[in-house]
Amino acid sequence: MSAALRPLLIVVVLVLALAPFGLPPFAMTLLTEALILGLFAMSLDLMFGYTRLVSFGHAAAYGLGAYASGWLLLHTGMPLLFAVFGAALLTGVVAIGIGWMCTLATGVSFSMLTLAFAQLLYAISFKWTSVTGGSDGLAGIPRTPGPFGFAALTSKIGFYYLVLACLVGAFLLCFALVRSPFGAVLRGIRENEAKTIALGYNTRLYKIAVVAVAYALGGLAGALYAPFAGFANTELLFWLLSGQVLIMVIVGGSGTLVGPILGAAFFMLMEHQLSSWTEAWALYFGLIFIAFVLFAPQGIWGLATGRLQMGRLRRASGP
Amino acid sequence: MSGQFRPSRRAMLKVGLAGAATVAAPAILRLSAEAQAGPIKIGMPLALTGALGSVGQQQKRGAELYAKLQNAKGGILGRPIELLIEDTAGNPANCVRKAQEMVERHNCRLFTGITLSSEALAIVPKLAEWDSIFISSDNGDGRLTAESFVPNFFRANISGPMGTRAVSLYLRTAKLEKFYALGLDYAWGHNSVQVFENEVKKSKKEFLGKVFAPTGTKDYSSYIAKIRQSGADAVFLVMQGDDNNAFLSQSRQYRLPEKVKLLTEIVDLASIRAVGDASLGLIGSSRYSFTYDHPLNNEFVELWKKEHNTVPDTFEGEQWQCMKVFEAGITKAGGIEAGKLRPGLEDIEIESVKGKVHIRKCDHQGVQQGFMVEVVKPAGFDTPIPQVIATFPGASTTPKCNTMTFED
Repeated sequence: MSAALRPLLIVVVLVLALAPFGLPPFAMTLLTEALILGLFAMSLDLMFGYTRLVSFGHAAAYGLGAYASGWLLLHTGMPLLFAVFGAALLTGVVAIGIGWMCTLATGVSFSMLTLAFAQLLYAISFKWTSVTGGSDGLAGIPRTPGPFGFAALTSKIGFYYLVLACLVGAFLLCFALVRSPFGAVLRGIRENEAKTIALGYNTRLYKIAVVAVAYALGGLAGALYAPFAGFANTELLFWLLSGQVLIMVIVGGSGTLVGPILGAAFFMLMEHQLSSWTEAWALYFGLIFIAFVLFAPQGIWGLATGRLQMGRLRRASGP
Repeated sequence: MSGQFRPSRRAMLKVGLAGAATVAAPAILRLSAEAQAGPIKIGMPLALTGALGSVGQQQKRGAELYAKLQNAKGGILGRPIELLIEDTAGNPANCVRKAQEMVERHNCRLFTGITLSSEALAIVPKLAEWDSIFISSDNGDGRLTAESFVPNFFRANISGPMGTRAVSLYLRTAKLEKFYALGLDYAWGHNSVQVFENEVKKSKKEFLGKVFAPTGTKDYSSYIAKIRQSGADAVFLVMQGDDNNAFLSQSRQYRLPEKVKLLTEIVDLASIRAVGDASLGLIGSSRYSFTYDHPLNNEFVELWKKEHNTVPDTFEGEQWQCMKVFEAGITKAGGIEAGKLRPGLEDIEIESVKGKVHIRKCDHQGVQQGFMVEVVKPAGFDTPIPQVIATFPGASTTPKCNTMTFED
């Protein structure tokens, strides 16, 4: 972590930690959801931004995590913490198989295979009614207390802190990962996979590993969403969500980890506000996305850091 | 983070402070809590866009006309009605978020018009936490008043099982023996097809099979082929919106109505208008039709014509009835707080556009008569219309309390 970035992140985390003391209830609801989506988008960035593995089916991770934690909380009464992390772990394990299959292909074929797996899970969620609730989904998912009677996370604010802790923890994990030799290989795959293979790396194993980590973190986001919203349904596995999370990463700035978190918050708030103002909100949202792709391909984070760099250069060249 | 660019500590702090200001902005902009004596806010998170957008639009128009006319008369209990309308695009996640915003940001405690049953099923577990009352105006899923029932939920409309029951009662005397069913692949579709299957089997007729199509299906040729191959005399449809329109148009192209009678759980004027003559001969139950001959309905139709220069559609009538239930309950309770309004609504009986509606106490279902209609094109009409061919008393079309099946 660079010296300049450290204080910024500390300030942001402090602001987020203090948010419940200053924000009204609904702003806290939005913020909690934005952080969950931020975690989801950041998980995709590991694949998309650092390894150039374009997934069209990342909703599979989110939906699987949501259904797994929802089912555990509804039917086993397992403590919230165990259900959430258990669901993330399950998603990561399932992702090893998905990654193994998908990495048999490259490029667009890889993307289509990820989409195929997501749609497979979507179909299963519809048909396996006894477990998934079919088209109704799972409703009334509780935030169970425990272990040992620990109930602080069941409240709205307590749950917010759990989400924040998960996001910060996941960010630090991803940051360490991309700065490690493992991350260097991922970047090597992104830039020139043939060259990386020539250097002696078994790139397929690295790709399976990054898919598993990305899905586990995406699953963690979904596992948090289920007790947050109180339901999990088939929409969480639908291809539309896979497209939306790709937009979040692109709008925020891929290959930066921070950018997708900002992109997710931007996406959610824009969708929420635009749909309040006009029924043609999808049209305006599409125009905004086109504008980003054409005029700010580096995303929100790229724009912000670009402005800072300009200011710094201007100051350096001043009298 | 690539190492090419390292902004200064001061610059990063500026970004951090800007972020803090962004996070704090909603607190600055938030509205102050409304006084209890202010307007009566009714939240309507509606699917105004998406496959069921036409249904959400009807609900919106129905509530808006009621609010306009009622506010002109001084509102309810002297308080004006304020509708909070938001588009959910039919997505339960959006619906929960919009409803939560209405509660936490606008202090709204009354809900109606949540378009999809899947959205309603996501909302109802939260009603106790929100201390809110939700009166359904269109949700068909029988489970909402059965296994998923919660005390703060009420249903003013005819449910899916009730509509299906009207069809099955009608079929008992019809000369049709073998049936197939096609439903939309979500809560309402599955629920209604299941009730229909049970009813057909009980009446000793033959149920040949069922198939479900995902919402948003454009090509129904494979479904039409299955229906043809089944050898059924009639197919029971549980469809709505764009899906219904697509199916009816394509079934006409494939000449399905010449071989198989089309029955439907719900006859919707919007679909009739959309597909025109392709809907002729369609028989089904109706949740509301402008052709009901009832003094209050005739009055409502005239009001509607004056406002919109056309006749009201199914969910415009259902939403109007729902608003009348709200009005009667709030007036009886003397307020909108859930603790007062819930007992106020229980066992209430109103005279509505469809006749008497009794909100029974045991599961909060509105008991009301069931209607069967046939789509015809009488002289003087440019487009087909649904004409009432049979009515059934509420006692025979409403399932027993907290169930969605029928014993006889």
